Amino acid sequence: MPDIIGIILWPLKWLVELVLVSWHGLFTFIGLPAAEGITWVLAIVGLVVVVRAAMIPLFVRQIKSQRKMMEIAPELKKVQEKYRGKRDQLSREAMSRETMALYKKHGTSPVSSCLPLLVQMPVFFSLYSVLNDVAKHAQGGIGGVGLLNADLTAEFYNAKLFGVASLHDTLVGSIQNQAPGWQVTVAILVVLVVLMISSQFYTQLQIISKNLSPEAKTGQAYQMQRIMLFILPLGFVFSGIFFPLGVVIYWFVSNIWTGVQQFIVIREMPTPGSEAAKAREERLARRGKAIDSKGRVVPMERYEAEQQRLYEEAERAKAAAPKRQQPMSKQRAKRQQQAQGPRNTSTPKPPSDGKSGASASPDAS
Amino acid sequence: MSTTTLPSYSLGDGRLVASSWMRAIPLLPRNALLALLHGYRATVSHTYGDVCKYYPSCSAYAVGAVQQHGAVKGAAMAAARIARCHPWAAGGIDDVPPHRHFRHDLTPHGFVVPPRKD
Repeated sequence: MPDIIGIILWPLKWLVELVLVSWHGLFTFIGLPAAEGITWVLAIVGLVVVVRAAMIPLFVRQIKSQRKMMEIAPELKKVQEKYRGKRDQLSREAMSRETMALYKKHGTSPVSSCLPLLVQMPVFFSLYSVLNDVAKHAQGGIGGVGLLNADLTAEFYNAKLFGVASLHDTLVGSIQNQAPGWQVTVAILVVLVVLMISSQFYTQLQIISKNLSPEAKTGQAYQMQRIMLFILPLGFVFSGIFFPLGVVIYWFVSNIWTGVQQFIVIREMPTPGSEAAKAREERLARRGKAIDSKGRVVPMERYEAEQQRLYEEAERAKAAAPKRQQPMSKQRAKRQQQAQGPRNTSTPKPPSDGKSGASASPDAS
Repeated sequence: MSTTTLPSYSLGDGRLVASSWMRAIPLLPRNALLALLHGYRATVSHTYGDVCKYYPSCSAYAVGAVQQHGAVKGAAMAAARIARCHPWAAGGIDDVPPHRHFRHDLTPHGFVVPPRKD
């Protein structure tokens, strides 16, 4: 039976090997020893940088889309009010449909979309299998699928971090084999796993506690996210025990990247309406700046001028909009007209002069 | 609110009647796939939260497509839908095109059973 998964992953594995070997070549070129553990570790770091940098455009797009959500918040609220307390299947379906139609109309969405999630899986799987298969390939004296040839594979396999910890060692394996210096390998793995768990936990906690809008905090998904906060770290314990050091290093660096990226987002591009957004506004206000209606940072005077202008525009729009007149029976209208003669008490206060005449005339006729 | 709810056309009040087990055999592939989809929706979908740009969500669309068109065509339609659910897609409402001559019943959990004879 042909290895279908292998065929699908082949191009991805080829790319991963290309990136890994290129970084290794670069670090060797600038004078690092080719067969040392540190050079290969740096090559893995380079791989993380390439993979994560390629994902930045997706990330930025999602954040921009989330910003636009603020504009449709009033309409969204209307839909939510309409279905408040209605938990039956049909109402929920209708509400979902209306919400989705609203997102589409405004060209925004609070969600990322499904494809990236699915694409990530084979990418991670090929990454993992490239790093994981080094031991198998080196023992068989063969190379990977592409540029990671037999010589480089053997070099990777024999590379030792701090002179003792091989990148293909796992926690279980090194405890069983007790090769010289195995304590160092175990110590490195344990430290990496502990750091991964704590950084992951901290990042998620930051997102959940600071970067969620009040609406997002009410949903079922939020409860689930809180539970996942405690379940996800278990995955790292598993990987720390069974995966080789090279893979753990990849995950560790990737995790650090996520943490830094989230930190920047929470600080500079927080979700509108979240606590992080309020904190940012306060920080800006202390520097005499504010965020205008387009989301740009402007000096306070310009912000105030814009707010004044928007307020005036809103007032003008309100004045120009036709006002609903309370229907009145003919008799009452007649009586009122008679009483109204000299004084002008019963008519509602007109917002502007141009309006009062128009609204009063139907009664008079 | 969750967009992961199944649309009403994916649910019914059908029941598997013992006497129609023979006619249920051809429906086994799609029901096996539906069982997988339900498992996925109960676990993975839940943990990810709402990510889909469409209503019904990609997994709910897959349920509908497999119900209506069977395991093979349904799976292909679901794959096409996931390909449509990319970051630059506009999203919105995207229902499963129903089968022209759908002649099965749906259970309250969205499984497909042969119709009752009466």
